[in-house]
Amino acid sequence: MRNPFLALVRAGTQTLTQSFPDLPTEATGLPTVTAASCRGCGACVAGCPTQAIVVAGDEVTLDRGRCLGCGQCVRCCPTGTLAEERATRTAVRTRAELLLSNHPGPRTPSAALPLLRRSLHVREVSTGDSAGDLEVIASTNAQFDVARFGVHFVASPRHADALLVTGPVGRGMREALLRCYAAMAEPRLVIAVGTDAISGGLFRGGYAEANGVPTDLPIAAYVPGAPPHPWSIIHGLLLAMGRD
Amino acid sequence: MTTLQPCAPALSHITVTPADLATQVTALLLQPGWRFGHLTARSLDARHTAIDVLLLDTQRGAVTCLTAPLADGQAEYPSLTAQLPAAHWAERAVGDLFGLRAVGHPRWKSMLLHNDRWPVDLFPLAGAAQATTPREPYRFLQVSGSGIHEIPVGPIHAGIIEPGHFRFSCVGEIITNLEIRLGYQHRGIEGRLTEVPWRQARYLAESASSDTAAGNALAHALAVEHLLGIAPPPRAAALRILALELERLANHIGDIGALSGDIGYSPGASLFPPLRGATLALAQTLTGNRRQRWFVQPGGVARDLDDARRRALLQGVQDLARRVTDHLPLVLEHAGVLERMDGVGRLSPTLARDFSIVGPAGRASGTGYDARVFSPAGAPPAAATRRIEGDVLARAQMRAEEIASSVAILTQTLDTLPDSPIQVALPATLPPDAVGVGVVEAWRGELLHWVTTNADGAIARYAIKDPSFNNWTGLAIAIRGNLVTDFPLCNKSFNLSYSGNDL
Repeated sequence: MRNPFLALVRAGTQTLTQSFPDLPTEATGLPTVTAASCRGCGACVAGCPTQAIVVAGDEVTLDRGRCLGCGQCVRCCPTGTLAEERATRTAVRTRAELLLSNHPGPRTPSAALPLLRRSLHVREVSTGDSAGDLEVIASTNAQFDVARFGVHFVASPRHADALLVTGPVGRGMREALLRCYAAMAEPRLVIAVGTDAISGGLFRGGYAEANGVPTDLPIAAYVPGAPPHPWSIIHGLLLAMGRD
Repeated sequence: MTTLQPCAPALSHITVTPADLATQVTALLLQPGWRFGHLTARSLDARHTAIDVLLLDTQRGAVTCLTAPLADGQAEYPSLTAQLPAAHWAERAVGDLFGLRAVGHPRWKSMLLHNDRWPVDLFPLAGAAQATTPREPYRFLQVSGSGIHEIPVGPIHAGIIEPGHFRFSCVGEIITNLEIRLGYQHRGIEGRLTEVPWRQARYLAESASSDTAAGNALAHALAVEHLLGIAPPPRAAALRILALELERLANHIGDIGALSGDIGYSPGASLFPPLRGATLALAQTLTGNRRQRWFVQPGGVARDLDDARRRALLQGVQDLARRVTDHLPLVLEHAGVLERMDGVGRLSPTLARDFSIVGPAGRASGTGYDARVFSPAGAPPAAATRRIEGDVLARAQMRAEEIASSVAILTQTLDTLPDSPIQVALPATLPPDAVGVGVVEAWRGELLHWVTTNADGAIARYAIKDPSFNNWTGLAIAIRGNLVTDFPLCNKSFNLSYSGNDL
């Protein structure tokens, strides 16, 4: 019988020391739109399973809120207008910031609640994206250790400052989600984690009305990806707190 | 150990009357090695519907599809559940999706669509002019007697976990009955799969339970390849085995950590998550994605493994195996852990067989069934193992054994990776009036994707049977007579998918 405490000591500190490292080269990053001019072949549009790309003339618009990150568009783009993003800081504060274009307009980033900068208690509600849940759990493990940023996951909405939603919120979960939000004390905010939560992703438009987090909830941070990387989820939490 | 061959299970079709369906199915199931696969319905045209039953012959690797067309205007059929208890949830799902009633079902009630959240007359997969039976209000089983009280839990649970409702009827702290009500995450996947272009269906198919992306993508690919009568190149078949076994490894390692957490054994709870993380990093090396999404596809796989990454993967698997082998005894040989798990949540081999419990949970209750033996798409473990205790400890020990066999399969596959292209070209269209079946031993157990095309070669019905669809009943049975406080531990020892069940 080996000594478990000896094993813990021998395993050493597991926590990753570098925050928000870039993805390694073997990983498939979310697509991004570069300044390289597009010749309008439309191959990316035809291959996209969630109709996340619009090409008009030489302008390409990619909606990361609908993108799964499958990499199909990057592989078939002949001009390099669509390329892989290596950064893990991929969360944003507004839905509009998820629209990427090779002709970007002016951006006005929104401010977040200054009240919750140092600590955030989060109630997670899952609505149909179990891989997203696992990546949220991973953000709490010894390696990512989201607690060091002041973020704690709690059981009761009464204890929560933030409602973190994964999954596309179909008819069956809509009421439970809204009641959970209603049970939270002010000030409160909502974080949409994953493409399913942001737009419904692949489920959008079906009879289950699984089109993402209801837009009448005030979403403070959007984390794209199917599912997002744990670092991206942590980025979303920090953005919602007014940090990044 | 690894036999790679095209996965084309021989398929036979039998048409029967609804009245004969139960007799025919039970007669076929008496043959050695035959298993009940799934039961569902299918619209033949706007007015007409048929009940379909899928049976697997695990000895020959063949599938049999029984079709019972219902008469015009008929919205019911004789239930199979009395003779075949494993069909009880499938018949209830057909009730919700098609509005067809299984007459004689002992616990008839809705399953996926709740009347207070869905229109009572919505039967999403029924034909436009098909006769339907209305969905009745849901009633929980009432346990009565002195001192009986109920504990309702969910749909939202305390932790970071999927939603579902558990209704415990208890005497003091002892659970006398657990009724599990799911369906909250019904997203209409099976319906969507008949609407999207079939070449893009793989994205949706692997979202059925996104924590089993490799398993679902593989079952989808096998079903489509079965329809088309094609096989993936040998290298692609081997790369698929890597994806499937890495998924099993990551989740089993994660479960050992989570089981430790549920009994408050912090060394296990803190040592295993980083090992799971290391496995996900290997999965990322193989597929480009920690969750192995968008990798397995009909006709092959989306990307190749160059030799540098192959060697890195082999080294990574060996390092991981060394650490896991070092840490596992800290949990499974610890007196406190054994005392906490031994005898808790026991599922008897008889009930496990009757309700067709699959995967590690089934093998911990003596079933001995592993779909990797049946389906050539998965390398079978060198020695199929089983236990008969059927308790939390046996389910944990099964995972430990499967971690070892997955490591062996990964090592062997990486050592003998064949050289070939990784993708074959797909025809432009699917064959008309055809059936394709994909059977995969995913990490939770037997996963089925069952596709039927219509006369135009379009997908008319896409049915998915997640292993959890079988195993939720196993959990409800196993927890009877146990303490309420042992439920989280017992639940984790099954670790079932809610989204894969709800679809």
